[in-house]
Amino acid sequence: MGERLSGDGVPVRHRHGHPDGTVSGPPDVQDSATLETALTAALRADHLDPRAEQQALAAFRSAAHGSTGARRARTRRCDDWRRPEERRIRRPMRMTFGVAFASLALGGVAVAAIGSADRADTGRGTTHPSTAASDQPGGTASSASSDRPEPTDHPSRAQDTEAHCRAYEQVGKHGKALNATAWQQLVTAAGGQDKVATYCSEQLTRATATPNRTTGAGKPGKGPANADSGATGDTGASGNGTSGTGASGADPGGTHNATGNGQVSGGTGQASGGTGSGKHQ
Amino acid sequence: MGQARQPRRIQACDGELGAAIARAQDGDEAAFALAYRIVQPGLLGYLHGLVGNDAEDVASDAWLEIARDLGRFKGDGAGFRGWTATIARHRALDHLRRQRVRPRAGGTEQDVLHLPGPHNTYDQALESLSTERALELVRGLPRDQAEAVLLRVVMGLDGPATARVLGKRPGAVRTAAHRGLKRLARQLGVGGKADADVTDEASRTLGESK
Repeated sequence: MGERLSGDGVPVRHRHGHPDGTVSGPPDVQDSATLETALTAALRADHLDPRAEQQALAAFRSAAHGSTGARRARTRRCDDWRRPEERRIRRPMRMTFGVAFASLALGGVAVAAIGSADRADTGRGTTHPSTAASDQPGGTASSASSDRPEPTDHPSRAQDTEAHCRAYEQVGKHGKALNATAWQQLVTAAGGQDKVATYCSEQLTRATATPNRTTGAGKPGKGPANADSGATGDTGASGNGTSGTGASGADPGGTHNATGNGQVSGGTGQASGGTGSGKHQ
Repeated sequence: MGQARQPRRIQACDGELGAAIARAQDGDEAAFALAYRIVQPGLLGYLHGLVGNDAEDVASDAWLEIARDLGRFKGDGAGFRGWTATIARHRALDHLRRQRVRPRAGGTEQDVLHLPGPHNTYDQALESLSTERALELVRGLPRDQAEAVLLRVVMGLDGPATARVLGKRPGAVRTAAHRGLKRLARQLGVGGKADADVTDEASRTLGESK
């Protein structure tokens, strides 16, 4: 608009600069330009009170600008009078940082979730690796997979029973846990409270016999101690304890093998002969 | 003539003003004094239009806040004018709220009413326009028009900056400024011949179309 221009002071022209009144542009523009000029001159204060200036300077001094304090004060939105294009440059930068940070955070969560899912899988599926491993050396140890229950239906029911049995060993006589429904089921399945131990040992022998059968490793007394270890190690551990009862010639090398990773080493133990008891210590 | 250079000088000082602000933010007191001298005339004029004779008091309040918050400010010279205008306006509105006085103070009626003055031409009227008379006229405007005119003419703000100070849309502010100037022109006698019987609406559309 014409008046915008005149506000910038560039095209300010005066009517009386043109004697005959012929001016370029509509008279409106000229009028308002002249009017604005006159108003500016009339309304701007031409006299400044020095005391007011001293007051302002004192306020400035007490505000302590420079390296300390106010310099570090946060710029509020109302204090940001940079040009829009200047501000727009910063905003995407801030947004970019935000997006990058958010993606990093989400990525971290995702990675963590993957890790935990993996661990959960290995925990649940302890028998699967040993099954696979036991099938491989099944050629050399011919009886490896013959009497083994099918892996597919194994985790569902038999593993429950195993878990109950292991917990039974752990809890033992103390506590009222045996009153719980799961225990009642176990007792029912065993056919009586006093038969639970026998039933359990049968179950556990059947469940974990495969990885350790050929090796016969495992010291007889270690079974209950193994039951104390975490969920991942439990299957193999108690399996060793029960299956190892019949094995007098324990392989000493097996006891040192792979203290942490019972299942896997149990599987590989088939080939080396005797490492299946890796769960012990 | 001196009057013609006035509006240009407002923006012409912006480079100097911006540099002074940057130095003042680093603690340079002389630079702050320079910024004060550049900004204060317009600020006082604006406040005179808002609060009349209390402008000096309100201005010193505003400068206290400006000095305190200078470290927060970001922008150039033009931005500084807008920022200070915003602060001054808030102080002025606080002041008015305290006083329960309407911004258009009374007492100017008799002057405003016998309008087209004794001057025979518009230019003469403008050249002899006194501060008091100009203030009376501006304060006789509706509030939004008066503020839009003052911020633009006295503080030298452009449309977007004026709109930001007033918290309104740029279009509304432009319209208000235009109407206010039109009305002032009519009161000063120039409107008589051209658009005396043209309504505000009509002249506004005329203005928008150019």
